[in-house]
This record gives sequence, C-alpha cells and structure tokens, in this order.
Amino acid sequence: MLVFKFGGTSVKDGKRVRHVAKLVEANRKKHLVVVCSALDGVTDELIHLSEDASKGAERVVEERLRKLRISHEKVLRDALRKEQSRRRVARLLSPTLNQLERTARGAATLRELTPRSKDLILSSGERLSAPIVAGALSEVGLKADYLTGGEAGVITDDNFGDAMPLVETSKLQIRQTLDPMVESGTIPVVAGYIGLTQAGDLTTLGRGGSDFTATLIASALMADEVWIWSDVDGLMTADPRIVKHARLLKQVSYAEAGEMAVFGAKALHPRTLEPVAELGIPVRFRNTFNPRNEGTVVSAKTNVDSRRVVKSVALIGDVAIITVSGASMVGKPGSAARIFDVVAKSGSNILMISQSVSESNIGMVVKRATAQKAVNALEIALLGEGGLKQVLLEDDVSAIAVIGGGMRGTPGIAAKVFGAVSSRGINVRMIAQGSSEQNISFCVDQKDGKQTVALIHSVFELDDKSQG
Amino acid sequence: MRLALVGFGVVGRSFAKLLQLKAGELASKSGLMPKVVCVIDNHSYSQDSNGLDLGKVLSKKNRSGSVGLPKKGLSSSEIISNTEADVLIETTQTNFKTGEPGFSHIKAAFQSKMSVVTANKGPLAVAFQSLTELARHNNVYFKFSGAVGGGTPILDFGRSCSKGDTIVRISGILNSTSNFILTHMERDALDFKSALLYAQREGYAEADPSLDVDGFDSAVKLVIMVNYLTPNKVAMRDVDISGIRGISLKDVERARKTGKAVRLVASADSKLKVSPELLDMTDPLCVSGAYNAVKFGCEFSGDKVIVGKGAGGMETASSILRDLIDIRGMLAARGSTSC
Repeated sequence: MLVFKFGGTSVKDGKRVRHVAKLVEANRKKHLVVVCSALDGVTDELIHLSEDASKGAERVVEERLRKLRISHEKVLRDALRKEQSRRRVARLLSPTLNQLERTARGAATLRELTPRSKDLILSSGERLSAPIVAGALSEVGLKADYLTGGEAGVITDDNFGDAMPLVETSKLQIRQTLDPMVESGTIPVVAGYIGLTQAGDLTTLGRGGSDFTATLIASALMADEVWIWSDVDGLMTADPRIVKHARLLKQVSYAEAGEMAVFGAKALHPRTLEPVAELGIPVRFRNTFNPRNEGTVVSAKTNVDSRRVVKSVALIGDVAIITVSGASMVGKPGSAARIFDVVAKSGSNILMISQSVSESNIGMVVKRATAQKAVNALEIALLGEGGLKQVLLEDDVSAIAVIGGGMRGTPGIAAKVFGAVSSRGINVRMIAQGSSEQNISFCVDQKDGKQTVALIHSVFELDDKSQG
Repeated sequence: MRLALVGFGVVGRSFAKLLQLKAGELASKSGLMPKVVCVIDNHSYSQDSNGLDLGKVLSKKNRSGSVGLPKKGLSSSEIISNTEADVLIETTQTNFKTGEPGFSHIKAAFQSKMSVVTANKGPLAVAFQSLTELARHNNVYFKFSGAVGGGTPILDFGRSCSKGDTIVRISGILNSTSNFILTHMERDALDFKSALLYAQREGYAEADPSLDVDGFDSAVKLVIMVNYLTPNKVAMRDVDISGIRGISLKDVERARKTGKAVRLVASADSKLKVSPELLDMTDPLCVSGAYNAVKFGCEFSGDKVIVGKGAGGMETASSILRDLIDIRGMLAARGSTSC
C-alpha cells in the first residue's frame, strides 16, 4: 500500500489536478490513500484573510472571500469535464465555502478571531482542494471518497493552530476508518493538515501539517511507502539557485532529512517523520511533473562511506547573531535558561547557540525578522539588574549548515570545512555543532554566504556524479 | 470520592456489595469514602449526586432486572458525560473485536476528566496504547488490574519486578477455564468434551467457551501485560494463538507418566505465543484448577512467580477496589480537592 501526498503546487490549477488524477491512475493496481494540501497559495491567502478579519477590515475580507470562491470554482471547472461530477463536487464545496464566509464575516464584525475560529478558516483550503481531487479521480474511473483528516481519524490535543496528534489514538481511529475503505478498493482522498479534538472540534496541525497527516496514515495502515509529490525532483546537495551543479540525493536517512528540513530544505519536519521512522516506512520525495525521476528516498539506512560523509550544504540567509555578555553569568547556573526563556517569549525561535567555556558570553542565532524584538526583550528583562552587561546584535550574517550522517565519528570534517573557508579569507563569526554530529553550523558575513555554500559543495565533491 | 458504575453484571454487583461490606474499614484504613452517584446497566440507569443507596439499587436489580429509569435513547456514554464523578468503574461485557461499548465509555469518562478503573479486557485488547495516551492527555488515571488474574495483583507485581530491572520473559497460565478443564481431564480421566461440560455445569465455562478454550482470553491478557510492563507496543495480531480443543485424554495421560502436565501457556520473549505446553509438575507455574500463575523472568533478579485465583466476581471486585485506593492516593498526592 502507498500513501500519496500532493503539495499545493501539484494541485495549483485544473490542468494539474487532472495530471494528478492520471498519476494516481497509473498506480491503481496498488492500494492507495491520497492526502491533499490546499491549492497553491490558498493557505497564505487564508492567513491574510484571518488577519484582515481580526482587524475588522470588512471590505477587504469580502474581496478576499469573493476571490477564494471564484478561484476554487475555476479550478473545479477546469479539473472536471463532466457537468454531473462538477455539480456533485460543487455540492461538497458549498458548505465549506459558506462556513468560511460566515466565520470570516463574524470575526470581522467582532474584530476578534479566536484560535478555534482561525482553525476553521485556515483548514478551509484543504477542505476545498481534496473534494476536487476526489472528483478528478472519479472522472478517470477510480473509486474515490473525500474525508477531512479528522474524519479519517486524526485526533489531536486542544492546541488550536499548532495541534499535536494523539498518535496512538489517531492510528487506531485511522485504521478503523480507512482500512475497510482501502480493502474495498476505494481510494480515500484526505484533506491534510486537519485534525479533531477528542470533543470533535476542528484543529490544524501547524507547520508541515499535511505531511504529518500522510505519515500518520502510513504508520497506522503499515503502508509500504509514503510518496510526497511536489514540484522538485527531491532533496538536493544544495540549493540549485546557489550551486549550479547541485545534485539530487538518491538516499538520505531520517535523521539527515530532519536536519535538512530544519535548514529550510523541502524535507519533512522532524516531528512529521517520527511515526514513519519508528516503523522504518520509507518516504519518497517525487516530482509531480517529472514522475520518471525516482526522487529521493528517506529511510532508516544511513549510507556511511568515507567519501560521502557530507550529504548536503544549506544556506539560511536571513539570520542575526545576538550576543549577550556579562561577568555575572560566569559560574551562575540558570543564566542560560533565563536568557533563552526571554528570547522564546519574545517570539523568536533560536536556530543556533554557542557559549564559550569561560561562560562570559552566549551567542545565539535567530531569524533576522524577529531579532530586534528579542534584543529589546533581553534589554528590558536582564540588562543592569539582571546581571548582563551587554546585548549585541549583528544582523549582517548568514548561517551555513553542513549536513551528513557520516560526519558522526569521522575526524577531520570540521578542519576541512573551516580550512576551506579560511583559505578564501572568509571570516567565521560563530560555530555550533550538535552532539548528534550530523550537522555543523556556522555563521559568516552575509556577503560571503553564497560563496561559502558553493565552496563547501566543491570541497566535499558533492557534485561528483559517481556519488549516490 | 464520587464513583460512577457502568455495567452491573456479576463484577459490578460484587463491587457494589464489597463497597457496602467494607465502607467503615475503607474510611478508617484508606481514607476512602466512596459515594456511588450513578449506576448504568444495559437498559436503565440511576443517578443521585448525594450518593445512591447501593442496597436499594442491588435489590431493585435483583427484583426487576433494572437499576432505575429506562435510558430513553440516551447512550451510556452520554450519561457518563453528564455525570459529575471522580472515577468511572467500567465492567461491561467484553468484546475482543471492537472493544465496545467499554472503549466509548472510557473515552467519555476521560474527556469529562474522570479517572477510570476497568476489569473489561475488550477495550484493552483493542486500544491499549490509545487509552493510556488519552488518560495522559486528559491528566487522569487509568487502572485495570482486574483485567489480568482477577483478584491476584499480577500487573502490580509485574510493575514491582520491573523497577530497576527489565522483564525479559513472561510466561503464565492466564485462563482459569482452560486450566480447570485440563486439570479435570488429568484427575478424572475425562476427554476434552466431558471436561468442558463439567466446567460449564460448575460455572467455570461459558455456554460459548471459545474465547477461553481457543486461547483468545489468554492472548489478550498477554498483550495487556507486555504493553503495561515492557516498552514494546503489541496487539492481538502479534500473538500466535492455539487453544486446547485438540488436546486428547491420551496427551494428558502420556504427559503425566513422565511427571509433566499439559497447560495452556501464554508466553512473551522475542515472540508472543499462546499454546498448550508440557510443564513439569514441580514447576511453580504448573497450577491446578481455576488458578492463575505468572512467571516474570527478569534480567538481573531472575524468575519470580505469582499464583492466585484467576477469576470470580468478588475477586475481581476486590481488584477494582485496590485500584480505586491507589487512585485515591495519587489524587491526594496531587493535591486534588475532589475527594
């Protein structure tokens, strides 16, 4: 059995939806479950809609609602050929569109949007795309039925907006709902990203939500593989826009894929990999528009071979380093915890941390967009009385991540990385290596970012065709 | 502490009687002052937030077969959701296939922030991982020591064995009916059919004995033990099950001549298995009649065996009471004001 997950770009318009139906049809001999994201761009549109609604911008809200309705009606018209099936799917879409309109208008009137209502709005995208895909599958002669993630059995906690599935409970319910459908030859078409609380309220799963729906379903049904269809061939040794000779990776481990995801590759978020990693179910990244390419397989295998210790190199351009210093931090337990707590509460996610043994300063890397807020929060909370002398912000840096499972226990990798960097006169501003040894991260001046990525790519011969 | 009872069969009624008998002692010894605010059976229910008179409910059930008012379209789960109680006692009929209706009852209780004590193996067979997850999610307690070994505290004993050590092997006689039948084949030279009839006459076997003699009951208990006592997550489908229908009088007698006995053994090491096996008569596991025995093989401290009566209404009711006292202790430690 296979679980297919189609991302937004795969179902961008009617033509693509028909293409997706053909892809599914080509695999009709296997038992299949299909998980859908919202149409390309719709989730962003819904985020804007909810922001406008909470501000009470009624006219903008109406305009956005009108556009959403029109765009889905257009995709429906283009995706389905038969008038009868169009009407059938339209009947499925209409309650969702009406509910979306009611919720957005209500929020706009009240100038208030609770997390619960926001989830109703944000989940509309998937609840509108999946019925269209199910309709397209029916048109190519497949038996397909539409369900939301919650109806399929994804049960979550009550953390609206970033709900966490209750994994065991979800797996049980998914088995009970989907197993009989799949056994009887029906393809369940599941709206991803959506769950239900135990009380039956709709939730969304947060970042990587639809992928999570797919991996959870795969683990519940003990699928042979999960195929994540998007518009790229798979995971690459580097961003091809930076490194011309970047190469497709055929095979990476769950841990490596997790590292890559954190650094912005189109990989699975680590928590979404958990259910499949536990059971060793491989995840394959494939290109909807280049299905002949076999893509990248993420599995339990770590290909450790001395020539392949480094798998990929990534650049995160828009970051900043915050350095806090003060003699009073020395030998004082808990100072790091307090600092991180303040930063977290200011809404910054810390990407990298480094502290010298002298303990007189701590450096951390955050997204540039949130850096000023974090600095401000630190100054208010900890400067002076809090025992800190200085909070320094450097926002002209880029972070580089060198990733590979084989780095673990292989000496000399760091030397090779930093030797290459210094030979070009590039200044390294900060270094961090996780004790998992699957990743070395460091910061350089922003202007040197792309050059550094290309340099490391060539030093480790990542574009060498002989590597797998 | 406010209790809701769903299921008022042999175990449920025994539990009600036990509460009546032990009321004084429970308060002085364990600080437990149970107040049953709701009793639900198949077709009727009875509620009183001040506490029901259990004597009256019991005699009404004996007299009329019902415990109170008809449910009138309300489901037991809905009644549970609408009841304010601290602990639900779930003793409805076991269903190994769906776990229902017990599974729904327990979920409804958790959602209403009630802890649950159950002796019903059905929900545990179907949804062990899910139920423990839901209990954690709702921050309530979930105890089920009566599900394995009736009144014998096998699960608690296993927990103690696993503290600071690792249980690497579990083997046990877990089904009283099968053991009763095998024992009487051996003692009275009966063939399987006659021994089964005898067990049915004596009330040790159901009219449809298949869950017991075909090994499913033993398998469920094994699954519960492995899930509860080890890090492994297992389900019924992981157990290789064969029962005792194929055991002939000849098998039993041949075994006896070599100082052995045929027993239905459930075991878990690298594999999960329920099948008839030959045990040395001197093996502490080799119990007779309606007894259960379990041997926990621990990595460092070796084998330990617990033996006790495996079934019976009062025995199981006493295990429910034991769980209840534990929950009371945990709630008190948490600083709860609810009891």
